[in-house]
Amino acid sequence: MNWVGLQMLRNDRAKFAAMIVAVSLAVFLMQNQAAILATMLSMTAAQIRDVQDADLWVTEPEVECFDQVKAMRDIHLLRVRGIAGISWAAPLLKIDAIGHSEGGRLNTVTVLGIDDASLAGLPHQMRVGRADAIRELDTAIIDPGGHELFFPGEPFQAGRFLRIRDRRIRIMGISDIAAPFTGLPMLHTSRSTAAALNLGEQHMTSFILARSAPGSRPEVLCQKINALGGLRARTTEQFAADAMWFYGSQGVPMLFMITITIGLIVGAAITGQTFLMFIKENARPLSMLKVVGTTDRQLGTMILLQGTVVLVLGSCFGSGIAAAVCNVIRTQPFLRSLYLPWEIALGTCLALASVTGIALYASYRHVRGLEPAAVFR
Amino acid sequence: MTPLDSSAVHCTGIRKHFGEDDARVEVLRGVDYTVRQGELSFLVGPSGCGKTTLISVIAGLLETSSGEVSLFGNHLARMPHSDRVLFRRSHLGFVFQQYNLLQALTAAENAAIPLLAAGVRRREAVDRAAALLNRLGLGSRTAAYPRQLSGGQQQRVALARALVHEPRLIICDEPTAALDHATGEAVMELLASAAVHPDRAVLVVTHDSRVFRFADVIAHMDDGQITRVEPRQRTDTATHLGSSRLTNPSA
Repeated sequence: MNWVGLQMLRNDRAKFAAMIVAVSLAVFLMQNQAAILATMLSMTAAQIRDVQDADLWVTEPEVECFDQVKAMRDIHLLRVRGIAGISWAAPLLKIDAIGHSEGGRLNTVTVLGIDDASLAGLPHQMRVGRADAIRELDTAIIDPGGHELFFPGEPFQAGRFLRIRDRRIRIMGISDIAAPFTGLPMLHTSRSTAAALNLGEQHMTSFILARSAPGSRPEVLCQKINALGGLRARTTEQFAADAMWFYGSQGVPMLFMITITIGLIVGAAITGQTFLMFIKENARPLSMLKVVGTTDRQLGTMILLQGTVVLVLGSCFGSGIAAAVCNVIRTQPFLRSLYLPWEIALGTCLALASVTGIALYASYRHVRGLEPAAVFR
Repeated sequence: MTPLDSSAVHCTGIRKHFGEDDARVEVLRGVDYTVRQGELSFLVGPSGCGKTTLISVIAGLLETSSGEVSLFGNHLARMPHSDRVLFRRSHLGFVFQQYNLLQALTAAENAAIPLLAAGVRRREAVDRAAALLNRLGLGSRTAAYPRQLSGGQQQRVALARALVHEPRLIICDEPTAALDHATGEAVMELLASAAVHPDRAVLVVTHDSRVFRFADVIAHMDDGQITRVEPRQRTDTATHLGSSRLTNPSA
């Protein structure tokens, strides 16, 4: 009888198509918005996760995310290095400055000054050039979005110059780091170069990056560092989570959730309403099936299968469109970090299925309540 | 064999009402009615006299307010709902006035529905239905959809659907009402030849007096009661032997 149910669904092409389109659009809208939200939140932690050499971040106690900078005294670096179980610790200097290209483009840039000796925190993935070329004074590597901002439309190429605080910084390469949440160009340079740009500041450390020695647990080392007082140590993932929570608690996710909820409600409402209409318009054939001995269980299975086919097809189309749009958008340098996690793809489909399931149940109740004798009238 | 032993349908004192208090309508007012196996029995009467309600009660689709119905000795009212559905699936076939064919299915697939409901595999069910349609003269139209068939052809498909699982009782509700005279005659001819069988009863509700000549018995109904039962000598040309050939391939 399941096959009969599928044939009935296929035969009503207008409603079948309407339900698939409704599910597809709802899934696309929810996945698209959820992907943007997830990407934005992950971007708040992107610069933390990009540092793969270190597994510990040490900051001033008040710092909650990468974009909050409070200069640290140099003595803290020595204190961290003195903890048993720390393999190495290196300073990272982060400053914001105004940069302008020789073509006259002007923008605020984030400069990350990397320890000259260890180069800890240097990007591992490069699109153009070599990252360790920044050892030379007044050189830097820039991220793809920054390159596009300062040199719009020009091919990725090393050798161009930026002027920052009266110093001429030579671009030695294009990094392939994740896009930053702030949208500002990211310049990786040596700490010496960054310090030269950091006019008027006494302390030249924003973060301390550290690596746990083999056999030492990062979480335990964090406790030891915190016990020193005046410092806050976190594992990379803890710091990333704190950063995401910091931005996530400021209301932006709620705006996205409203759109996602609207997509869910509208999609489920249209799908459910159309499905219920489909069932009601087939009341007579369904009554006939009851008369000839089709059980309620068989009819329930038919309805479940019909609903499942609609949801699966609609979810596949919607997810496909969402993934395609995501792939097109991420070709833009500033939006290169956009991604659609499989958890979001699956979650949105299940959410829609759950809400639409209510309509399926209502349809089943309607069929159960059909008076088979009505077929004689 | 006693009269009760040979009865396919045996109704005793059937009463049925709808609504309560001021809105209460007595539709069946103590119906005593018997249809015997091998009979082509007509139930006739004016519109609103309770014919449809009576066949709904006989088919186990409506509960009686009082009285008893037995089909081949089985009391449907005493069965659990699920058993009643399975009994109907196995032992009853139906032909409706409006055919009630599924537009999404071909003629053979429509005729196969009772077999599909019984769990027969699709290919086997459709093959059996197609073979029956062939015997009913629709061999060339088994792959046609209902919208591609005339009214008479659709009713023949409905007849095949009623016969395909070889039920013991076939209930037909106004099978000729939506057809012109000639087509109605042809369908009744087919019904009489294909459906009637010594082990099977056929109950036809109709008010089409042009087809009364096919009946073995005509029960007249009026105002919720059987007023007269009139035995007849059937004048159609079909024989029970012929029907056996049509519905029993091994015969």
